Amino acid sequence: MVEFTLPKNSKVKKGTKHPKPEGATNTRTFSVYRYDPDTESNPQLDSYEVDMDSCGPMVLDALLKIKDEMDSTLTLRRSCREGICGSCAMNIDGRNTLACLKPIEECKSDVKVYPLPHLPVVKDLVPDVNHIYAQLTSIEPWIKADTPPPPNGERKQSPEERAKLDGLWECILCFCCTTSCPSYWWNGDRYLGPAVLLQAARWINDSRDEATGERLDELEDPFRLYRCHTIMNCTNACPKGLNPAKAIADIKSKMMERLG
Amino acid sequence: MATQNRPLSPHLQVYRLPLTALMSITHRITGVGLTFGTLLLTWWITAAAYGKPEFDQVQAFLGSWIGLILLLGFSFALFFHLCNGLRHLFWDFGRYFELHETRRADVIVLIGAAAMTAATWVMVL
Amino acid sequence: MTSNSSSLRSPLGRARGLGSAKEGTHHWWVQRLTAIALIPLTMWLVASIVALSGSGYDAFILWFGQPINATVMILFLGVAFHHAQLGMQVVIEDYVSHHGWRVTLNILVKFACYGLATLSIVSILTIAFGA
Repeated sequence: MVEFTLPKNSKVKKGTKHPKPEGATNTRTFSVYRYDPDTESNPQLDSYEVDMDSCGPMVLDALLKIKDEMDSTLTLRRSCREGICGSCAMNIDGRNTLACLKPIEECKSDVKVYPLPHLPVVKDLVPDVNHIYAQLTSIEPWIKADTPPPPNGERKQSPEERAKLDGLWECILCFCCTTSCPSYWWNGDRYLGPAVLLQAARWINDSRDEATGERLDELEDPFRLYRCHTIMNCTNACPKGLNPAKAIADIKSKMMERLG
Repeated sequence: MATQNRPLSPHLQVYRLPLTALMSITHRITGVGLTFGTLLLTWWITAAAYGKPEFDQVQAFLGSWIGLILLLGFSFALFFHLCNGLRHLFWDFGRYFELHETRRADVIVLIGAAAMTAATWVMVL
Repeated sequence: MTSNSSSLRSPLGRARGLGSAKEGTHHWWVQRLTAIALIPLTMWLVASIVALSGSGYDAFILWFGQPINATVMILFLGVAFHHAQLGMQVVIEDYVSHHGWRVTLNILVKFACYGLATLSIVSILTIAFGA
């Protein structure tokens, strides 16, 4: 059976309380998942009372304020702080999203912050996404064509053909969708998951690509593709407003289309 | 390097599943329930083929409290699976994937399944 | 996904695994096909059961003794058990990770579904032919 509960070494223990800074009147509690690989102990949930009067509006602002002013050991990935790099993907208030795009106001009073679900944790809010990147590599996300490009020019595409890539090219590979999918939780070793399948759709729908059939061949598999049961968590989670579930349905209908 | 014993991040324990996801797991539970329900259906039909005494035995069981509760569950499972199955078919044809559409469909399926169950029992009782 | 195993295989090697089965569309399609067929068949069965409720054995035998009713009921049983088997297979594949157990359970479910389908169809035929 797949494990619906957490393994023994992964159960989250109660953590340290970090009280509000002196004189702060408007505070909010952030409960943050902590795991230190240098100790033998289990992950724990530390709480921080953050002064909201001197904090930016987004969850990322609060996390960086904690790191700067309360606890410098807190570890997280972040870069652009404007929703384009995909680094600060995490589970906030029970849903996967980007910390930089998530207003604190939208969260319950006690803001719970966990790493992306069902992944091995490297440290604190940093999960190991190697396997997802390897799955992305496995679908060969680059143009494949036997016809050489025209001399001194690029491969041409009509505006209509280009429009077919809209809703696909915008993905920033944050993996909020993939790690929100229960099917990926239980069978992620073989199921490619929504982000990688959306990327597959991006190349399948590219008019310049000449390997469409081979791409479909590689995807047609009970686990790689057909573990998608349209649970829709992916589309619900995407911080860029994309629709991975629809992209996967499009791949499935192309599978049907070539049958007859 | 402590890479061998990395903990697994929490999943079901922390994820706030959207209604659409709860509908999905209900679809699965009702589907498995209906599969076991076929035992009841087969028993009913086979008993009728054997003769009146056997058939009356099944009818008596189905008329008992346990039987009625089973049938009530069976009928709701059937109508839920039917209504939600219909929306899955629309999805499979690439329709109604926008979030406002799925939320509306969640409500339609729930109301539809409840209404069909109620209507059936009103006609039977 | 648990990549805590001590394997030194590369991530790409693990992701590619045993390769694509180049199969799955047929299963997916037949599940939809049986689903579509079950919509009218189920409505008919519910209507029949509602009509038969309250009346006893004789009414039941009379109803399923008619060729049209027997035919539709046999269609329902055949399609419903096939749909159930396909659905249970997906559930088992989702949750049973051990390959041996997964195969064993799927074999048992197939035997059970097609066994019950045959038993119930033969029963309807017995009624229809008035044996």
